[in-house]
Amino acid sequence: MSNFTVPVGPLHVALEEPMYFRVDVQGETVSNVDIHAGHVHRGIEYLVTKRNVFQNLVLTERICSLCSNSHPQAYAMAIEQIAGLTVPPRGEYMRVIADEIKRVASHLFNVGILAHLVGFESLFMQVMEVREMMQDVKESVFGNRMDLGANVIGGVRFDIDAERIAYIREQLDLIAPAVAEITALYRTNSSILDRTRGIGVLSHADAIDCSVVGPVARASGINYDVRVKAPYSAYDRLEVKVHTLADGDVWSRAMIRLAEVATAIDILRQCLDNLPGGPTSCTTERPPIPVGEAIGKCEAPRGELIYYVRMTDSPRPERVKWRVPSFMNWDALRIMLKEAKLADIAIIVNSIDPCVSCTER
Amino acid sequence: MSILPDNIELRLAAVAPSGIEFTSSTNAKGVGCAWCRLASKDDLRSVAAFMKGMGARLSTITILQPKAPSAPPPQEGETPVVPTFFGGVASDGKTFEIDYHFDVDGDTLTLVVHVPYGGDVESLTPLFRCADWPERELMELYSVVVRGHPDPRRLFIDPGIEGAVLERLIPFSTLVNSATTKGLWEKILALKGVQS
Repeated sequence: MSNFTVPVGPLHVALEEPMYFRVDVQGETVSNVDIHAGHVHRGIEYLVTKRNVFQNLVLTERICSLCSNSHPQAYAMAIEQIAGLTVPPRGEYMRVIADEIKRVASHLFNVGILAHLVGFESLFMQVMEVREMMQDVKESVFGNRMDLGANVIGGVRFDIDAERIAYIREQLDLIAPAVAEITALYRTNSSILDRTRGIGVLSHADAIDCSVVGPVARASGINYDVRVKAPYSAYDRLEVKVHTLADGDVWSRAMIRLAEVATAIDILRQCLDNLPGGPTSCTTERPPIPVGEAIGKCEAPRGELIYYVRMTDSPRPERVKWRVPSFMNWDALRIMLKEAKLADIAIIVNSIDPCVSCTER
Repeated sequence: MSILPDNIELRLAAVAPSGIEFTSSTNAKGVGCAWCRLASKDDLRSVAAFMKGMGARLSTITILQPKAPSAPPPQEGETPVVPTFFGGVASDGKTFEIDYHFDVDGDTLTLVVHVPYGGDVESLTPLFRCADWPERELMELYSVVVRGHPDPRRLFIDPGIEGAVLERLIPFSTLVNSATTKGLWEKILALKGVQS
């Protein structure tokens, strides 16, 4: 059998963002993968040190569109810790609402793309139609479909009245059964199962070795979710179900995401039921930010997002470093793609829900 | 409640013969956050091995060049005093600080080492496979050398660009010039032997 080196990317029909995989194949089977990154490196870690604390909220929201709410949230958490600010309870619940709305849309997008890659176009359209209902919620509540602009230092800058709450409830009542229907399809449909069961396996031991996070880790049996392990915002007062599966294949990762969509809808309902009164932010001014350093962590749709911020006597941070969940998950692809068929590469790459803009900054 | 063990400071000190400076706190939601400054970067490997034994996960690595503290100019006849970090490395504005952020089942413990400008630090890849990319990235951001890295290639920045990009000012127009210059087009024409 002949050996070839096949380039996949950086621009490829199956990749949403540019990444270059140099794939060595033996016949049709992958023998080695080398990943070349950097095509959307924008130097944002450099830019944040040239802007002040408040301007950076706007910049961090633009690192990535799918987890655009998680970035300013983790950043704000680190700044609030340095400044000793406490987000009021209503603000904490609002942060959870923004977070979970984004999670539903993000997970459905990834699961929809899986259907597209499998060639099941009607299912792809069905999933995207359900996701569109959540996009409507974003547009109605925040005025935007992707960048919500929800967070400020000390809380959030949006509020929802009884009318909006009723609207969100109505939308959730439509989305929940539609998600249940989609989940049943992914669980039983042979077109999906044939292409995803036993494909791109990451064992529990390899998952620990690669330090993967988020749904990729949970699909390999690692019971870790920042919302439970290191609670923030209102998650310490909410019931957050953590889903795990043992097989670590493409199908397990999709099923974890679908289960998390159902859980996110449940969390949203808990929030709407128990929404406390009061202000949504602890200050309307721009508070002074003293010298200090802190870490903010949150569970973005793709897993643990960690921010480190160092403030000196300047209004600009001395250093802001963040590590996005995708950054940890790329390396695991080298294990998942080993011995895979050439035709499965796109499905396996999509299964880590890769975010290149986030990774490269 | 924070899950970091009560005697963590003693146990860390036992594996760092040159000494440590340890602080920790627990926030209102019971999440622990600890900082352990190592007096010598040579203790890094043994402390990291201890962290691995505790089941910690290396979350990420931050590198920076902390600004030197401002001090009044020395009086006539006085020798200027160079401030130092814990462990005695000069705080001259050029020294690197490398922070290794570990996750211990939700709590965060950060190991801090200081590396003099032009110095090197040992790779953690033999202990943590996931140190590979963060160490490659810190080598392209600053001129620090990671000793024993299995694959010290550039990670994001093209090898054609001069290294240590965070050590110098890069004008914004230069940073984004890929979108505005004719460089690529001229290169293609030159390769084809056409005069532009």
